[in-house]
Amino acid sequence: MALAAALRRLAPVALGAFPRRTTAVTLGCGSRLAGTRRLSAGTQPLRSDNKVTIHFINRDGEKVTVKGSSGDTLLDVVINEDLDFDGFGACEGTLACSTCHLIFDEEVYKKLGRVTDEEMDMLDLAYGLTETSRLGCQICLTKSLDGMVARVPESVTDIRQSKDETA
Amino acid sequence: MAVLYNFTSACMKNFGGSSFNRQLFCVFRTFHKSAASGDVLGISEERAITPPDVAEETRVKSLREMPGPSTLANLIEFFWRDGFSRIHEIQLEHSKKYGKIFKSRFGPQLVVSIADRDLLAQVLRTESIAPQRGNMDSWKEYRDLRGRSTGLISAEGEDWLRMRSVLRQLIMRPRDVAAFSDDVNEVVDDLVKRICVLRTQQSDGATVLNVNDLFFKYAMEAVAAILYECRLGCLESEVPQETQDYIAALHLMFSSFKTTMYAGAIPKWLRSIIPKPWEEFCDSWDGLFKFSLVHVDKRFAEIKAQLEQGEEVRGGLLTHLLVTKQMTLEEIYANATEMLLAGVDTTSFTLSWATYLLALHPHVQEQIFTEIMTTLGPGRVVTANDVQHLPLIRALVKETLRFFPVLPANGRITQDDLVLGGYFIPKGTQLAMCHYSTSLDDENFPEALDFRLDRWVRKDTTDHVDNFGSIPFGYGIRSCIGRRIAELEMHLSLTRLIQKFHIGLSPVTDDVKAKTHGLLCPGAPINLQFIDRE
Repeated sequence: MALAAALRRLAPVALGAFPRRTTAVTLGCGSRLAGTRRLSAGTQPLRSDNKVTIHFINRDGEKVTVKGSSGDTLLDVVINEDLDFDGFGACEGTLACSTCHLIFDEEVYKKLGRVTDEEMDMLDLAYGLTETSRLGCQICLTKSLDGMVARVPESVTDIRQSKDETA
Repeated sequence: MAVLYNFTSACMKNFGGSSFNRQLFCVFRTFHKSAASGDVLGISEERAITPPDVAEETRVKSLREMPGPSTLANLIEFFWRDGFSRIHEIQLEHSKKYGKIFKSRFGPQLVVSIADRDLLAQVLRTESIAPQRGNMDSWKEYRDLRGRSTGLISAEGEDWLRMRSVLRQLIMRPRDVAAFSDDVNEVVDDLVKRICVLRTQQSDGATVLNVNDLFFKYAMEAVAAILYECRLGCLESEVPQETQDYIAALHLMFSSFKTTMYAGAIPKWLRSIIPKPWEEFCDSWDGLFKFSLVHVDKRFAEIKAQLEQGEEVRGGLLTHLLVTKQMTLEEIYANATEMLLAGVDTTSFTLSWATYLLALHPHVQEQIFTEIMTTLGPGRVVTANDVQHLPLIRALVKETLRFFPVLPANGRITQDDLVLGGYFIPKGTQLAMCHYSTSLDDENFPEALDFRLDRWVRKDTTDHVDNFGSIPFGYGIRSCIGRRIAELEMHLSLTRLIQKFHIGLSPVTDDVKAKTHGLLCPGAPINLQFIDRE
């Protein structure tokens, strides 16, 4: 238990500290390796007109309004703003799980851009899948998404807890 | 439910799940019924609020009540009748006989098998941040003995999470892995050339004997190109000596798999009497590590030289790891070793099965060929970015892995007490997730024994397959880290092979069945004909 708690603390730290764009190196496209670039958008001061407002509806049905930067993913926003959605984004946006599953209004869903095959494969395994579900790690913010609502679906653990409570 | 759950776990703790527990439970239920109807017997509120019929339905059963083969039957099946090579079939038999959740004993080890997609989903969706697969003590012991680090397969807990966090950022995102497309394609060029050489050695001028041998070399070459940033020459006519040595070490690892797997389970005091399994285990690891050390050190020396010359360092995965120092050198050795080990046989077996299935189903092969002609034409070389326009190639890999999941079962050790399929599973229980059984279950895949790509082709982006039945790479935080690399290697090679050749069964190939040898592999050589298209 103590270990689990320690790991939970460790995870966001590790994520934040790790430069998100390491691809330059793997691509072999000539970036200098010695000074690895830091591209964590959250740490850079950005002009306010690049900010996009997002309303998250958490698992308790409460609205949490935050701002993210254009180009960030919704998972980046959740991490940067330290939003407490238990178990959200377990694989750190590497398309190995579907814990950053979010549900959108149809209007917004249409504006979210192309779904890749790999994202669809992961959505297949998402809990409580809907027709307007996407993975937060694959949604990049643009100005046109300003004011969007993203609902965090119930997790398996929530369902079990509520069943236990009613029993 | 909550009350009952607490009560059962309390009983389990106090009485160790003995039959006494069951008796007590019956007593409790009888008492409970009268209490509920009597209403005022000074029963605690907790008890009174649970209606008796709910208690009847949702009573959590103990492990003791779980069905499963007897210890003796299992012992005979596995050690006497060599069940290890048929472990996938036994899994299927047992799940039919005992149900979707059953227990087995392997000596002192109790294993709870899960052959139900919903239960699998429950386990995988609720797992912690650092899931544990199984007991890796023997792997760890070797590493301690030699002063080596653990890698992603053998590490647990915080060590595992730290390394996983570094590596997944490099090789798990599809768009990052797409950057290796050209490197892999160079290896595919060599694969095609090698096929052309090999088939001239046969009297029909078309047959390649034992295609797995070929695909083994392809997979090894491709993984090395990505992992070590160098070519090994596996697909040349003369394979370099150090590569041959590595292949020998790998074969030793797998040929003695049965014994080595249990090398750690054999009590240490027995090693002086039966020393061979543990010695072979250590020897094969020595060989595997040695190979990685050579290649990692070589690259490290190159980087040092470049830096001393004031040159800009450019490179791929290994360069990144060596330069950024997010892991120690020992950790890099260990992960390079374990990733190469994990990335060769798995890919080659799947490619062998895929080409075998294509040969068995020529009409499916023609459909894919048509798709390739429409998308690429006869001459254009497929790249990672083209794969999204080749749904049948993706479906081919998925359907092949459904038929022959390379890991027929995967393990988890429960990190919390949980209730699974109505049974109380205490923390620390070894679970076996029976992927082979769920993949071939008609409930999950209608007409499961039919080879059908259309199961995997989506009509549109909202067309989903709600299915944990076939998850060959696993799911979640401890899923296969090489998944995207393996997919790239398979998509690029299979597309090119179908584009270039008609793949047919060689007359010298019989019906090939699967056998388990650690992994699910072809039980006999697969010999195929590669006949030029055009």
